[in-house]
Amino acid sequence: MSDTNVEIADLLGTRRSQSAQAFRERLIMASLIACAGITVAITLGIVIILLTQTIAFFSPEGHLDGQGEVSVVSPADFFFGMEWNPLLGGEKHFGVWPLIIGTLKVAFVAMAFALPIGLISAIWLSEYAKPKIRNFIKPIIEVLAGIPTVVFGFFAITFITPYLLRWEWWRVRITDENGNYVKDESGNYLTEPAGLFGIFDIEVYNALGAGLAVGIMCLPIVISLSEDALRAVPKALREGSYGLGASKFETSVRVVVPAALSGISAAFLLAIARAVGETMIVALAAGASPVKLINQGGLWDNITSAGALDESVLPMTGYLVKIFTGDAAHGTVEYYSSYAVAFTLFIITLGLVVLGNLIQRRFREKYD
Amino acid sequence: MADQAPSSPQASSLTVRSIDKRMRSNTIFNGICLTATLLALVILVVLLASILSQGLGSLSLKFITALNSSDPHKAGIWTSLVGTMVICLICALSAIPLGVGTAVLIEEFKPRNRYLLWLHGIIDTNIRNLAGVPSIVYGILGVTAFATMFGLFGPMNSGKIAIGQSWYDQYQGEDKQLYYVKADGPRDEDEQGKPAEKGMTLYLPTDSGIGLGKEATALQWVTEEEIAPRVAAIEEELDAFEDAFRDGISEARDGRRGPVKADKAKAEAIVDASIEAGTWKNPDTSELREKLVGLVSGLDGKKGVELIKARKEAINIAIDSEYAARMEGVITIGAPPVRVDTKSWYHLALPFGRGVLAGGLTLMLVILPIVIVASQEALRAVPGSYRQGALALGATKWQSVSKTALPAAIPGICTGTILAISRAIGEAAPILVLGGTGFITSPPRNLMDSFSAMPMTIFQWTKEPEAEFKTIAAGGIIVLLIVLLSFNALAIYIRQRSSKHQ
Repeated sequence: MSDTNVEIADLLGTRRSQSAQAFRERLIMASLIACAGITVAITLGIVIILLTQTIAFFSPEGHLDGQGEVSVVSPADFFFGMEWNPLLGGEKHFGVWPLIIGTLKVAFVAMAFALPIGLISAIWLSEYAKPKIRNFIKPIIEVLAGIPTVVFGFFAITFITPYLLRWEWWRVRITDENGNYVKDESGNYLTEPAGLFGIFDIEVYNALGAGLAVGIMCLPIVISLSEDALRAVPKALREGSYGLGASKFETSVRVVVPAALSGISAAFLLAIARAVGETMIVALAAGASPVKLINQGGLWDNITSAGALDESVLPMTGYLVKIFTGDAAHGTVEYYSSYAVAFTLFIITLGLVVLGNLIQRRFREKYD
Repeated sequence: MADQAPSSPQASSLTVRSIDKRMRSNTIFNGICLTATLLALVILVVLLASILSQGLGSLSLKFITALNSSDPHKAGIWTSLVGTMVICLICALSAIPLGVGTAVLIEEFKPRNRYLLWLHGIIDTNIRNLAGVPSIVYGILGVTAFATMFGLFGPMNSGKIAIGQSWYDQYQGEDKQLYYVKADGPRDEDEQGKPAEKGMTLYLPTDSGIGLGKEATALQWVTEEEIAPRVAAIEEELDAFEDAFRDGISEARDGRRGPVKADKAKAEAIVDASIEAGTWKNPDTSELREKLVGLVSGLDGKKGVELIKARKEAINIAIDSEYAARMEGVITIGAPPVRVDTKSWYHLALPFGRGVLAGGLTLMLVILPIVIVASQEALRAVPGSYRQGALALGATKWQSVSKTALPAAIPGICTGTILAISRAIGEAAPILVLGGTGFITSPPRNLMDSFSAMPMTIFQWTKEPEAEFKTIAAGGIIVLLIVLLSFNALAIYIRQRSSKHQ
């Protein structure tokens, strides 16, 4: 009798605690789902905010500008426009292409620097370096990756531009049109920095310096992601190649790199996305004048006129910083234009990242 | 390889040459690769050397403990160091539970239902793609979602306080006395620490908390030097008063050495006579008179020592009252009151405004994907046998996760989270979007208070045209890098300790 009682009590107790446990589990699941829901809400929030404000920017009633006049911008004006001067007086133009080209100029310089050097470094680290040296170099690259971007911006305008590009340590006398040296009132010769190789005159704020700094910032990303991709290639492939008599160089370039191509391209796309979205470096070093495109000129004229890297450029992120640090009052057309620019930037970077992830997933060679 | 070359001399020479050539290209490639890798090292050295050479000179204890200022020689990093610490704390407290929770859901609770599985996949992909969104876009989201809250709760709050329909700035004098100054509206350009201007209309709060006591129109404050001549004049008058007062009392004592015998009427006469001698136009004379009369009549039966004390006290009362009244509108002698915000640290208002809370939450948006991915990887690294063992012993799904997988993953989660927070410390773009160009001198006092973070201050200093600001910007960068290095060292320490344990 007593045994049965105990059993029943046990059973009941267990049951009760089981249902309590089940309730707890459900509660925990609910809170975990809420956590995940917030991350989805963040994405939705970004898209909704950017989209609604961009649509508001294109409203047919227009918005007041800084001078109290109403400006109406159509999507066609914005997405296909070749002129950007929202803050200056007179006729305002909200064509986004000068900003995109400004961004592309900086990103082009950055990638021309970071992609080859990063890939080659990754090959060396994964294929050539002895473990000891590798363990020495890897932390250094991690330190470089951990440096805040504003520091690279500071580096760009206090070192890269003045010393590497403008050669301010080499001042030359200014000559007038007749070739005579110019003097100031007290009879001293006026001087100016020599410029790159003493030939190229480079502005204080320029796409080249900002691009190099962005490239330095992207270098660790390219190196570590490409190296991960290269190291994921199974040893058997390399051994097969060595067995056929190939040298290390041939194995690296003809076997390992092609096998890791999907990972490497994903790394490249991520690096490009980072370069396009980089804000602080361009806000400090790239300058503030939008690229001048010629509306009537042919494609070639536009490319050559836009291609100069020695001039000050205004990339998309640079414009956003300009607006959000107080160049435009809330609710004006300039303010709304920043959302449209942010939307464009978001679409471009998201496209690059999604493409990178797709490539990595779709074209990954599976060896197991 | 040459040993194994075929015996035919022609073939052998061919192979050897081509092997030589191939080995040479291998060596050249090795050289190119090594140079490229060393370039990263050289860049790091040049970067650090250039910053150290520019910034070490400005680095001092004073630079670290001084508030931000528009004078580069006085400006310090303390304002933004505290700001950075506070926003990172808020960021960590919000990002860790959210990130780890999401990672646990994705890694440990894979649903069986087809539609849920699809949703699950979307969340996973979404997080991977979020990591590539530029941080400035998160800043825009932060401004809209936290600072203005989509405009759902009216205009942004500010350091100003609302009393009835009006807004007031708060100013605090050296004596901790608070004054209100009428403001245009709730919008606030942060000017904390800004001194009040002469001629401002100040309102004194009531003793029972917020509310307007008396209005002190066009009060002024003066420095010690400014009032020196006036003080001299007053002291002269006080001397006359003291003489008259002493005379009055001696007369009342009637030449006797003992206690004064003065009835009320007599005391009044003495006081009136001395006030007359002072020729004051004090609006509060009546009050002073009451006190003095009370004193003098209270002297009845007191000894000489008390008399001296009483006279001193009476004169002090007279001086105080004279200073307060005669210096028309003097609220404090010394520095003018400065604008302050005196809310308690946990003060909350909707919307959050451009304060530390909004800043921390915005940084949370930036690092959340990083925390999630790091936690996912840490959970994935825990062997499945742990969970299966727990499940086999009768644990529920959550018990197996919380008692086996999660504890085993904690070192990995910690490392990832610390690295993510160090990313947040260095992040400037979202803070810039949120905080604008506000020039902030004081560290945040409450959750709604405006703030500056180190990267933002460095950005502002770098933007300044004067060379001195570049120098202190380099000093600020050194402090920032030291903070980051210590965070990274902590992450490495945890990683090594946990790998030793396993």
